[in-house]
Amino acid sequence: MLASIVSHGLALGAVYALIGITYNVMFSASRVFSFTAGMLGMLGGVLGALFISKLGLPAIAGFVLVLVCGAVLGIVTEIVTVRPVLKSIEQHLYVLSTLAFALMVQQVTAIEWGTEAQPFPRLIPIGPGWLDQQFWLPMLACAVTIVGLEFLYRRSLVGRAFLAIAEDSYAARALGLPEQRLRLASYALAGMIGTLAGFSGAEMQLAYFGNQAVLNFYGFVPVALGGMGSNRGAVIGGLALGLFQQAANFLVGGIFAAVAVFVVFILVLLLRPEGLAGAASARRV
Amino acid sequence: MSIRRRQVLSGATAAGALSVASGLAKPAIAQTEPIKIGYLPALTGPSSSTGIGINRGTQLAVEGINADGGINGRKIELIVRDTQSDPTKAVNAVAELTQRQKVSVIWGPLNSGEALAATPLIARDKVPMLHPCWVDQLIDVKKYPMSFRIAPTNTQVGVGANHYVVDVLKLKKVAVISDTTGYGTASVETYVPMLKAKGADVVYSGHVDAANPDLKPELLRMQNAGAQAIMPWSVNAGFLSRILNTRGAMGWDVPVVGQTTLGSGQTKALLEKPENWNKVYSNNFRNCCYVNGKLPERAQEFVDRLRKAKIEMGDTLLWWIALGWDGARLLADTFKAVGPKAEDVVAYWNNLKGWPGVYGTVTWTPEQHNGFPDQEVVMCEVNSLRDGAFNLAPGYGS
Repeated sequence: MLASIVSHGLALGAVYALIGITYNVMFSASRVFSFTAGMLGMLGGVLGALFISKLGLPAIAGFVLVLVCGAVLGIVTEIVTVRPVLKSIEQHLYVLSTLAFALMVQQVTAIEWGTEAQPFPRLIPIGPGWLDQQFWLPMLACAVTIVGLEFLYRRSLVGRAFLAIAEDSYAARALGLPEQRLRLASYALAGMIGTLAGFSGAEMQLAYFGNQAVLNFYGFVPVALGGMGSNRGAVIGGLALGLFQQAANFLVGGIFAAVAVFVVFILVLLLRPEGLAGAASARRV
Repeated sequence: MSIRRRQVLSGATAAGALSVASGLAKPAIAQTEPIKIGYLPALTGPSSSTGIGINRGTQLAVEGINADGGINGRKIELIVRDTQSDPTKAVNAVAELTQRQKVSVIWGPLNSGEALAATPLIARDKVPMLHPCWVDQLIDVKKYPMSFRIAPTNTQVGVGANHYVVDVLKLKKVAVISDTTGYGTASVETYVPMLKAKGADVVYSGHVDAANPDLKPELLRMQNAGAQAIMPWSVNAGFLSRILNTRGAMGWDVPVVGQTTLGSGQTKALLEKPENWNKVYSNNFRNCCYVNGKLPERAQEFVDRLRKAKIEMGDTLLWWIALGWDGARLLADTFKAVGPKAEDVVAYWNNLKGWPGVYGTVTWTPEQHNGFPDQEVVMCEVNSLRDGAFNLAPGYGS
């Protein structure tokens, strides 16, 4: 039982953490909470199965193509759903625009791909048991992503520019940073991370259009738990969520497992609205 | 010469009287014009696999009837409206078929979701309706006196599965699981009391989110409770395949008995190993199952006919094609016996007894418009699919 809780829980948690990071990367660049993160995750699985299983491309080529598609979708998201509403961000129109775009893409996927779950290929034929790729691939993807982002943000000039935009876009623009291009790049990066999440977790979750809503919600929980904009918080929150969810599956089971997740989520938000790793924001008076 | 208003009015009255008289005396052309059947299959969209299969049988039957000269010299005209698996489209199509096209009967919709939306409208327009949908509430002789079902109800499907587990396999400890959809939860709530009434001990019953990727905790609970059979109720191939894969990974040799999706190609595609499909039994229909490698005579003749007409069977199910064939043939037999008038059609159907279809034997009475016999709802071995048909599950007498 413990092995199953740890292997499944960490794998699921890594997928949730990656979706949480996707939310964060988009949020940091634009202050927009884009509900396309689940869509990107869903497409990671569907496009991976399409390229590798249906079109017969080599796994590496399929994987790279999935990331390219994710980047393109990220850019389209920024141009179509975020840029037009940035001027009136206080009206939260981005909730409608990003959600509508995500739902449209999901419907097109349902029509073109089908509404039945389809298998995702086993890329590395080892297992079964905990060596199976469905367990370690999401964790590996999560580790590579968090290390890569840390390196990008702390060690590279472009990464520092991303952070400057996230910190204060007006000041960054005043310093001559190309805010719009950096935002586009951030959305492309988020697109790649989102599709990576779906691709790495698709053997477990299958290539299924219905994963969008699940990933949208369960990917949001680590962001709320870990604090908006905190990637480390999203990873800790995601892994904790995965482990807790899997433990609840064993201990209470059925629909009560989902209820237990919601209860803990609400309790944490009540006790620490800024998230476990977030800092309470000071209000200027 | 000037024309006065009174002359115009009297002329119009005379013309009106003439047209009424000519309407009363039926023109000869009415006796040769085609008999219109409104047909509502879902040929596209998420629920279209059923409609595509049924459509092959319906089209083949209508082509055959018309090639043989039609019904008493009148051809059958199928007015097809693809519902696109969308209840709204089905409702719009009903309005067109009953009010503009003035069809004699409606065959369909072929999916319950669309039928739930369309049936009250068809009843309101007083058009006889024949459909193959399983939802029990679709037949109500008081609310829908012109609506008749040619297939089993959901209750009959559950009765068939429960009978197989308790009476044929002689297993008493049963686990019943569903996803959290309306269909899944309603099925568990309906079938669990039925199982208990048969003397079974339901050691586990629960609903699980179909998106949950790990069902091992639920199967461990079932195993620990001593379950001898698992009965899953879901149309979600991902959910069902996870049950079968988990059972295989646990090395648990327990039979799985349930809904037809257990035997679908989508479920098969998601299995980790082909052996995970062993000891899995899904609902099917006695006339369309192999017994000792052979189909019943009526079904074999039908399969020979399908082969001759080069109808593809490998990508669909035999009982879907047979159901489509039966629907069209039953309508043709009705028109041949009593003509296409609505009241005559309903009167004929109300007294139909033992109509011999390929898919099933149909009997209706004025009080009962569910026409499918309980004993023809059986279980089949899902890993025996050949030409769209399955072997009868072990344990039934041949």
